[in-house]
Amino acid sequence: MIDFIQMLINGIAAGSSYALIGLAMVIIYKTSEVPNFAQGEMALISTYVAYMLLEQHQFPSYLAFPLSLVFAVVLGCILEFTILRRAKEPNVLGMIIITIGIEMILMGLVSWKFGAEQKSMPFPISPYDSVMIGDFFVSTLEVLTLVVALCTMIVLFLFFRYSRLGMAMKATQQNPMAARIMGIRTRRILMATWGISSLVGASAGLLLSPVIMQPYMMWDPMLKGFAAAVMGGMTSLPGAVFGAYLLGIIENLFGGYISIEFKSVVAFAVIVLMLCIRPSGLFARHYVKKV
Amino acid sequence: MKRQGWVLLLAGVMLLIGLVAGVGAEEGVTATEIHIGQWGPQTGPAAAWGSVARGTDAYFKMINERGGINGRKLIHHMFDDAYNPAKTKAGVKELQEGTGMFAWVSGVGTAPGLAVRDYLMERGVPWVGPSAGSLHWVDPPHKYLFAVYPLYALEARALCRYAVANMGKQKIAIIYQNDDYGKNGLKGAREELARHGIELVAEVPVNVTDSDLKPHVMKLKKSNAEVVLLWTTVRHAVMTVGISKAMRFQTQFMSTSTCSDFPLMMHISKGAWEGVIAATFAELPDSGYPLLQTYKQEAFDQYAAKGERWGLFYYAGIVFAEPLVEAIRRCGDDVTRERLVQELESLKDFKGISGKISYKPFDPNDPSCRQGQSQTFLVQCMAGGKAKQLTDWATID
Repeated sequence: MIDFIQMLINGIAAGSSYALIGLAMVIIYKTSEVPNFAQGEMALISTYVAYMLLEQHQFPSYLAFPLSLVFAVVLGCILEFTILRRAKEPNVLGMIIITIGIEMILMGLVSWKFGAEQKSMPFPISPYDSVMIGDFFVSTLEVLTLVVALCTMIVLFLFFRYSRLGMAMKATQQNPMAARIMGIRTRRILMATWGISSLVGASAGLLLSPVIMQPYMMWDPMLKGFAAAVMGGMTSLPGAVFGAYLLGIIENLFGGYISIEFKSVVAFAVIVLMLCIRPSGLFARHYVKKV
Repeated sequence: MKRQGWVLLLAGVMLLIGLVAGVGAEEGVTATEIHIGQWGPQTGPAAAWGSVARGTDAYFKMINERGGINGRKLIHHMFDDAYNPAKTKAGVKELQEGTGMFAWVSGVGTAPGLAVRDYLMERGVPWVGPSAGSLHWVDPPHKYLFAVYPLYALEARALCRYAVANMGKQKIAIIYQNDDYGKNGLKGAREELARHGIELVAEVPVNVTDSDLKPHVMKLKKSNAEVVLLWTTVRHAVMTVGISKAMRFQTQFMSTSTCSDFPLMMHISKGAWEGVIAATFAELPDSGYPLLQTYKQEAFDQYAAKGERWGLFYYAGIVFAEPLVEAIRRCGDDVTRERLVQELESLKDFKGISGKISYKPFDPNDPSCRQGQSQTFLVQCMAGGKAKQLTDWATID
C-alpha cells in the first residue's frame, strides 16, 4: 500500500510538468487549432536565456527568471508575427510543418550558442532535497512545480472565462470571421495567444532545468504534454491538466506493477487508445459548424 | 571531327593513367595525407561524450604540427551523429564512399558502432578503438576491428569484485540502459557475482528516452541494495543518484568508466556524485604522468576550443587513437591497410596514457586477439570532483 501511494505521489509530481506544457499547447490550439510542436523548444530557449543571465551576466535569480519569462512572451509574439502570420493561405497541416521547422531551428540555435553538453542551472531550490510526510517523500522542486501548475491553471481558467482578452481569444477560435466583424483584432489576439502560451511553456522549462539541462531536454516533456492535451481534448484547460496528472499516474503505476521497460511508451499507447475510443478527448466540447 | 578524335584519345589516355596510378594507391592515403574518419555525438542525449572526438582532433593537430607521420599529415574527418545509429550509418557511408577514409578511429556508442560495423568490415576498412566497451567488437573478432576500451563486462567484474571482496557487500543491484551497452554491464555483474555465489538483488532497465526515473529508483530502494551499479548515460546516472538522495535511499553507487569524469559529474549533479566509485581506463586528469602532461600542453592547451575542459572524456579521444597512430608510424612509407593490421597485431604491452595494449594475430575463435586493453583501476569521487585512487592498474580476467 505504501508503494502504491508513493507511486501516486510520484505520478502527480511527474504530471505537473506535463500539465504546464499541455496547458501551453492547449492555449494555442484553442485559438488557432494548430498543435504547436515548437512549444518545447520555445521553452528551451527561454530557459537558456535564464541560464545565460545567471551564469554569464551574474544576474540575481529574482531578476533572471522574470526576465526570461518576459523574453518568452516576446519570443512567442515575434514567432507568430514574423513566421506564422506570413504563411500564405495556410491549412492546418502547413502550420504544423511550420511549427516543426521552428522547433528544429530553435534547438539548433541553442546547441550552437550554448553547446550540447549538459549544463547545471543555478536554481534556488535543489532538485535533490525532499519533504518526507510519514513514509512518503516528494521533492521540494516537485512541490513547487505542482503549485505553479495549479496556479497557472486557475489563472488561465479565470482569464479565459472572465477577462475581455480571454473572451476575445475564445471568440477568435470559434469564428474568426464573426469575431473580426464584432471588432476583435484577431491577428493581435493570435499574437497574444502565442505570447501567453510561450510564457506558460517557459515556466515548465525553468522548473525542469535543475534536473536536466541540455538542448534535448524538452523533447520528452513536450511529447508527454501533447499526450496529456490530447487526452483532455486539446481545447480544455482543466482537461489538459487532468490528462497530465492521469498520464503521470498511469506511467508510474505501469512502471511499478507491469513493466518498467515499456513505461516510456505508455503515453503514446494512451494517445492511440484515446483517439480510437473518444477522439475528441475526455473534456472537449466540439462546436458543430452548420453548412 | 579530327579535333574531336584527339580530345577523345587524350581523355582515354588520362583515364588509363588514372586507373594505373590508382591500382597501387590505398584508399584515403596520398603522398602527403592520411584520411581518418570519426563520428561523435555533439548534440542529442549523449552529447556529454562529444568531447571524445574533439580530443582526437586536437591530438591529430598536435601530430601534424610535429610534421605528421613519416611526412604525411593526418586529415581528420569528424561528424556529429547525435548518438543516432541511422545518422551514424549515413555519415560513415558518405565519407567512406565520397572522400574515402583510410581507417576509422573511436566512434562513440555501442548502438551507433553496431550500425556501421558490418559495413566497414565488409569493405576491409580498419576501425581502431570504438569508444564503447561492447563485446560486439571482439566476439566474434573481426580482422579489421581493434578494440581499445576495456569491456564493460570487465569493468562490471572489477567493480563487483571490489564491492564483495574489499567492502564486504552482498546485496548488489544494477540500473542499466536497455541496450547492448547496459546489457554488457549486466552480463559482467552476473558472471562475477555468480563466482561468489551471489545474485543481483535488482536488475532495473532504463530506456534512453526516459525522463522520469522515480519508478526505477523505487525498485532499487525496495531491493535494499547496499551497492547499485550504474550502467546508463551520464544524464540518467546523475538522475538516479539525485533521486536516490531525494528519496533518502542511501547506498554505495558504482559506475562504469563512461561516468568517471568526476568534475563534470559533480557539476551536473550539483555535488550529489561525491562518494561514487567508478572504473576508469586512463590516467587521472591531474596525474603527473609525463605523456599525459605532454598531451595537455601540446594538444589541449594549443587546440582545444574556448570553454573546453581537460577531462577524461576529452583525452579518451587520444587514448582510442594512440594505437592507430603508433601502428601508422610503424608502417613507415608503406601505409596500406594490410600493413596497418600487421603492425597493430604486433603491438605488445604498448603503453600510452591508458592501460597496456596488446593484440595478437587474427584468430576467428579468440576474441582476445582484438581486445587491446584488459586493464582498469577504480577511483572514488571526492569533494570538488577530485579522484581518490582505490586500486592500482589491474588486469581483469
